[in-house]
Amino acid sequence: MTTWRIAWQYLWSRKLTTGMTILSVALGVGLITAVLTLYDETRKRFEEEGQFFDIVVGAKGSPLQLTLSSVYFMDTPTGNILYSDYELLRDHEDVAHAFPIGLGDTYAGHRIVGTSREFFDAMGDLHTGQARPPFELAEGRYFENELEAVVGALAARQTGLGIGDTFVGTHGFMEMPRDFAHLHDDHPYTVVGVLEPTGTPNDRAIFCALEDIWRIHDEESHNGHDHGHGHDHSHGHGAPNPEEAAAGADPAGDGFDLTAEQVTSVLVILESPALRFQFRQWINENLNAMAAIPVNEIRDLYDRFLGTAQAVLLRVGYLVVVVSAISILIGLYLSILQRRRDLAIMRALGASAPEIVGSILIEALIVTLLGIGAGWVLGNAVAWIVGLQLVHQYGLYIESFGAPVSEAFTAYALVALAGLVAGILPAYQAYRADVARDLAEL
Amino acid sequence: MVHLEQCKRVLGPGVTFECPSFNASAGVQMALWGPSGCGKSTLLNLITGLMRPDHGRIVVNGTDLTPLSEGRLDRFRGEHFGFIFQTFNLLAPFTAFQNVLLGMRFSDTLPAKQWQPRAKDMLTRVGLGHRLQSKPNSLSVGERQRVAIARALANNPKIVVADEPTGSLDPKTSSAVMDLLLELCQEESVTLLLVTHEQDIAGRLQERFDCSDLIKEPAA
Repeated sequence: MTTWRIAWQYLWSRKLTTGMTILSVALGVGLITAVLTLYDETRKRFEEEGQFFDIVVGAKGSPLQLTLSSVYFMDTPTGNILYSDYELLRDHEDVAHAFPIGLGDTYAGHRIVGTSREFFDAMGDLHTGQARPPFELAEGRYFENELEAVVGALAARQTGLGIGDTFVGTHGFMEMPRDFAHLHDDHPYTVVGVLEPTGTPNDRAIFCALEDIWRIHDEESHNGHDHGHGHDHSHGHGAPNPEEAAAGADPAGDGFDLTAEQVTSVLVILESPALRFQFRQWINENLNAMAAIPVNEIRDLYDRFLGTAQAVLLRVGYLVVVVSAISILIGLYLSILQRRRDLAIMRALGASAPEIVGSILIEALIVTLLGIGAGWVLGNAVAWIVGLQLVHQYGLYIESFGAPVSEAFTAYALVALAGLVAGILPAYQAYRADVARDLAEL
Repeated sequence: MVHLEQCKRVLGPGVTFECPSFNASAGVQMALWGPSGCGKSTLLNLITGLMRPDHGRIVVNGTDLTPLSEGRLDRFRGEHFGFIFQTFNLLAPFTAFQNVLLGMRFSDTLPAKQWQPRAKDMLTRVGLGHRLQSKPNSLSVGERQRVAIARALANNPKIVVADEPTGSLDPKTSSAVMDLLLELCQEESVTLLLVTHEQDIAGRLQERFDCSDLIKEPAA
């Protein structure tokens, strides 16, 4: 019978206390695991997406907002820029690819993204052989004619849109009741393609030709649509850039009325990523627009803002672990008091004091290790559940139940150490026991 | 086999245990006899090394216990002694079989591969071959003491010390347990030192050591 078996039998003999202690360790470890997994996984996904494009160019404002709206389809755009700026960028010698992006409408909460056919062709070629290409047709084809749309996998699933279906876009980015929404009824799209799931924000988007976006907004503008009927035209976001408005880039004044000769942003792939900083400077100095490096914006977001939140949550996790360590200590200490006779009997049977100490430390270690194991499962379960929500809301797939990140290993080692340290005092108490007295008194 | 010489131990203010001389030869069955509180258990604790004398020598099986370190003393105790207590002192989380195994595991006098067959054999010999997997709290008091006897003898000790082994048993069970203990100690050629305050129990053993004068207290 090994010392581990002896320790386990004693833990098993007080199942409830042991279970509660394991649970308290698991809660702390679970919180740490969930925070680290979610932070690491979302950061990884965002950075992967950000790496697709070297530069994003849009109206002046917040570079993070520009990045989130144009690369991740999450925030509201900063405004519009001139189509001629896109042409300048496309023709620049340092630019390998430039894709115009036109935003302004949604369907059932999914962004309608106007772009060029090259967006799909070039991105497909650039990422051939990658585990997760950003675009792949599940069925149908890409848009070729007027008012044809290609629907992302998640958007298709959530809206029920399939090949041949038609739908009309809603102006703006906020979901509104039908009576208050401004629907582009005269311009129904027809679905001609559905994309494979890619685990990227593209899954949530609906793609069409940039010209369709222009056409819808131009014609409605000429037909006397004042965009003022029954809905809040400010949409609560995206105040137009004064310079843009002065240039006539945003006649409707809400920042999203994309007319001909305008784009919301341009996604740029440079000849070399090394040119990013230099090219960003060139844009900021030579165009009436703002350039941002998506991956840097995301890193900034994580390091400055989410990093702080992560640190706070991790501290809460470690605090829970410290409380758990104290409960291990109290649990073991009380158990030692109750087991003084058992320990004295073991000593009388020939067990040495170090063997008894070892057995108690092993008890602490077993509780801690089981707590870490249960915490890992709990934390990953939380990450999995949050992941489902992230997929639903942002099309962002995160992996749970994978190998722990290196920071988690450090955290688990610290927790194991805390558990072991918690066992030292009770073990020392047992070490100093007066065997003859304990046998006689109890 | 067991030899005490001028042993003294202070037990409290003015209370002293004093044993000028004690001898028990190999294979003997000896009762350490006397009224409650006379120092019988202290004598047993000194002999087994659970308590150290302040003065004097204790020699067991040719080894002087007094200079031994704690660790050596633990090992020596495991190798040479088997214990039987009044309240059985079985370890509650473990089955009867595991309790006997634990005795052998701590004493480490037999090769590990012999532990299981020896534990089964001993429990069968005390009539508990059918209760191997029973936990102590599901056994009767008589059965518990029989498990304790099996545990005490399983590691082939030179000496079995029994502290009031029948003190918690009814007369019928007490008699049966004593029969078993004496028979097994004889079969295994083990020295038996048995603490008791009951004269009839003491009378069943070959030798008796009168403990009634071991504690010295100041005159009131």
